[in-house]
Amino acid sequence: MKKKILAALLAAAMTVTMLAGCGVPGGGKEEGESSESNEKVFRYSTRTEPTSLDPTKSNSIPDNEIQHAITESLVRNTGGEVYPGVAETWEVSEDGLTYTFHLNPDAKWSDGQQIKAQDFVYSWQRLMNPKTAAPYAFIGEYIKNGYQVEKGQMDPSELGVVAQDDTTLVVTLEHPTAYFLSMIGAQAQFAPLRQDIVEKYGKDFAADAEKNIYSGPYKLTSSKNQKWVFEPNEEYWDADSIKLDRVELSYVQTQDTALAMYEDGELDYVELPSAAVPTYEGKDNVFRNGNVDYFYFNCSNQYLSNKNLRLALNYALNRNDYNDLVNNGISAPSASLAFSGLKGVEKTYGEESTLQSYPLDGDEAKAKEYLNTALSELGLSNPSDISLSITTTDAETSKKQAEVCQEMWTKTLGINVTIQQVTYNEVLSRQQSGDYEIAWGGWGSDYDDPYSYLELFKSGSSYNYSRYKNDQVDQLLEASQQEVDAKARMDMLHQAEQIIIDDGAFLPQAERVIHYLLDDDMKDVTFFYCSVNIDWVHADVEK
Amino acid sequence: MLKYIIKRVIAAVLTIWVLITIVFFLVRLMPGTPFTSAKLTPEVAANMEAYYGFDKPLIVQYLVYMGNLLQGNFGYSMKFTNRTVNDIIGETFPFSADLGIRALVLAVSIGLVLGIISARNRGKKLDFFCVIIAVLGTSIPDFIMGAVLQYLFGIRWGLLPVAKYEGIEYTILPACALAFYTLASVSRIMRASMLEVTQQDYIKTARSKGVSDLRVTYKHQIRNAIMPVMTVLGPTVASVLTGTFVLESIFAIPGMGKYYVESVSNNDYSMVLGMTIFYGIFLVTCNLIVDILYGVADPRVRIGKR
Repeated sequence: MKKKILAALLAAAMTVTMLAGCGVPGGGKEEGESSESNEKVFRYSTRTEPTSLDPTKSNSIPDNEIQHAITESLVRNTGGEVYPGVAETWEVSEDGLTYTFHLNPDAKWSDGQQIKAQDFVYSWQRLMNPKTAAPYAFIGEYIKNGYQVEKGQMDPSELGVVAQDDTTLVVTLEHPTAYFLSMIGAQAQFAPLRQDIVEKYGKDFAADAEKNIYSGPYKLTSSKNQKWVFEPNEEYWDADSIKLDRVELSYVQTQDTALAMYEDGELDYVELPSAAVPTYEGKDNVFRNGNVDYFYFNCSNQYLSNKNLRLALNYALNRNDYNDLVNNGISAPSASLAFSGLKGVEKTYGEESTLQSYPLDGDEAKAKEYLNTALSELGLSNPSDISLSITTTDAETSKKQAEVCQEMWTKTLGINVTIQQVTYNEVLSRQQSGDYEIAWGGWGSDYDDPYSYLELFKSGSSYNYSRYKNDQVDQLLEASQQEVDAKARMDMLHQAEQIIIDDGAFLPQAERVIHYLLDDDMKDVTFFYCSVNIDWVHADVEK
Repeated sequence: MLKYIIKRVIAAVLTIWVLITIVFFLVRLMPGTPFTSAKLTPEVAANMEAYYGFDKPLIVQYLVYMGNLLQGNFGYSMKFTNRTVNDIIGETFPFSADLGIRALVLAVSIGLVLGIISARNRGKKLDFFCVIIAVLGTSIPDFIMGAVLQYLFGIRWGLLPVAKYEGIEYTILPACALAFYTLASVSRIMRASMLEVTQQDYIKTARSKGVSDLRVTYKHQIRNAIMPVMTVLGPTVASVLTGTFVLESIFAIPGMGKYYVESVSNNDYSMVLGMTIFYGIFLVTCNLIVDILYGVADPRVRIGKR
């Protein structure tokens, strides 16, 4: 008996050893993948795994970045500039509500069929259809009746998008939207979809690279094993402008690993982990990704409903020191709300701004002044009568963020501050339910306009986690949604931001700065601060 | 014997059913929902809840889930919306299992040899050396081991690829890092159990018969001492083969460890359940095999359980 077991064990061990000697799953490196010298290849990595290859269900920047290469919308947004996409030309009505797009009859799907106006109608109706349950459906609320369709109160066919013929698409909006073209040129949800293909695969549509067809400059040829491979789409209407032969996107979660792979020559682009930034000084480049860091004040809280207390907290924060302590000095300290690099009327929003805000070095005297006023208004005698808690995520940087604020506030103001760390999801649900006093927050925009940031302080907006309400701000923001004149509209937004800052509605901290390394021979890689951070569609490798 | 096996199988199935039921209701108690995101609007949330059937009573959801499960269907992930949990497990498990098998072969073979050597040289320098390895292995976490190996062999000396899993040379570093802990514990258990066996009467009998030292070790000691090692191998095989979050992350291996851990923080209910059930079945099966092997090898176990 024992001999038999031994024999069985030995046999098992032998099989295992043989297995171990064989190749790895997925077949390892594919044929021809090891760089042929004259092939133009771009390899990079993402820290956040894309969630879906179905443009309608795109839910994150990595999702958008993939779709930006494999789909072609009506227009193409490259680094903030709008270029023709499937639409060759378009007209906008004087009231800014109706867009008529004339489609390029040469625009084709990767299977050779023409991209028709109906493909956009189908895609946009699918986006707003409640049965699709698209996580980003709210982005389509700009389209006439979008909200009603999303709520199930209207049939998707009543959505304000109509194909007059194969090459004419008429889009009607709820209100004039200055950034409409820029938005549909970068947000994946507005890509065309072929009904026959989506219905052929049903729920498995775009589950992998094979279960889809492509309208964009590139086709996805593989999406296996956390690696996405792109190759030029020969049917693309502007195929001549595409220079790369292949692009490989790998999912590498650990930033240090990605950096090691870059050093090893396995990647051509890498974002630097903040600790490594000093080591690469002079070799790195930077871009701002449009993300702003801040804390929310719950304005319905007994203490924080007091404007002077909120101002005291704002003046007590030395944002330059904060940035050194929390971000190793690599982000940009900020005392404003909307990201400064957004498009303004002629220059950037930040350059055109006349915002008067808290000094970046803080102002202790002023902070104490505001605190004393607040104390008398609240009927308190001692700063230590005030206790506030900061709710933040369990990430290490979030902890630092809260600790630095805690330290500065207790030192300068003498109030009590506690820190509560919970999971990221829990922070978000507490923001939504209002169950917090001061909470971690951050925002990046889906479109190139300050409205996205300002909307956070519009009463009635589902993003108004601060429970902040100022009638003037509401009026300015409402009016900005109807104004067609770009300059007048931008002025309203600047005004609204000034009021929000004067009210100390929240605690601005910093704008994120991304430090990265890019191979010297890579040309025309574009960086952008909304929807798509890295855009390599027109990139080239210089030999 | 057959009766014994049937009994064990029934117990295993029951265990898995209890596991599924507990986890199904537990995940719903986690704070947040699978759809929590900074930009979620109430309208989108309502549509997504309806899409995944969350608007139905929990007990109905449970029955629907069990019905699907009986057909081997884990459902669609709530985070990776177009992919099924089956598909994700199918794609990632081979990588984790491949890495795990390599690590196990390494760990068990070297661990056993070290354990035997150290028991045979008890109290000598060689024993001391083996004990140090065992202590280091059990006290250094695998991700530190991984980072150190990656730095030395990948970055500093450039001998092996830094990350990814695209060929034999890619497997060496992560397999060594993963093997280290198991290797150490196998050698420790083997050493202890060898020493215990040495005190047994049959060893003394063999010695007094004049059987050579090496033959005693090979023929009598090892065979009897290996039983406790078999016991720990059941759960070890299950945990090593289903992937390790941190190591896979450090070496950018497309395994399933990440999904197991992150599905919890993402509140991805179907993924948490799918991963737990998969792991549960795997663990229970490994233990079952060990139990049965035990029964086969040692008649006392069978009689005792009757």
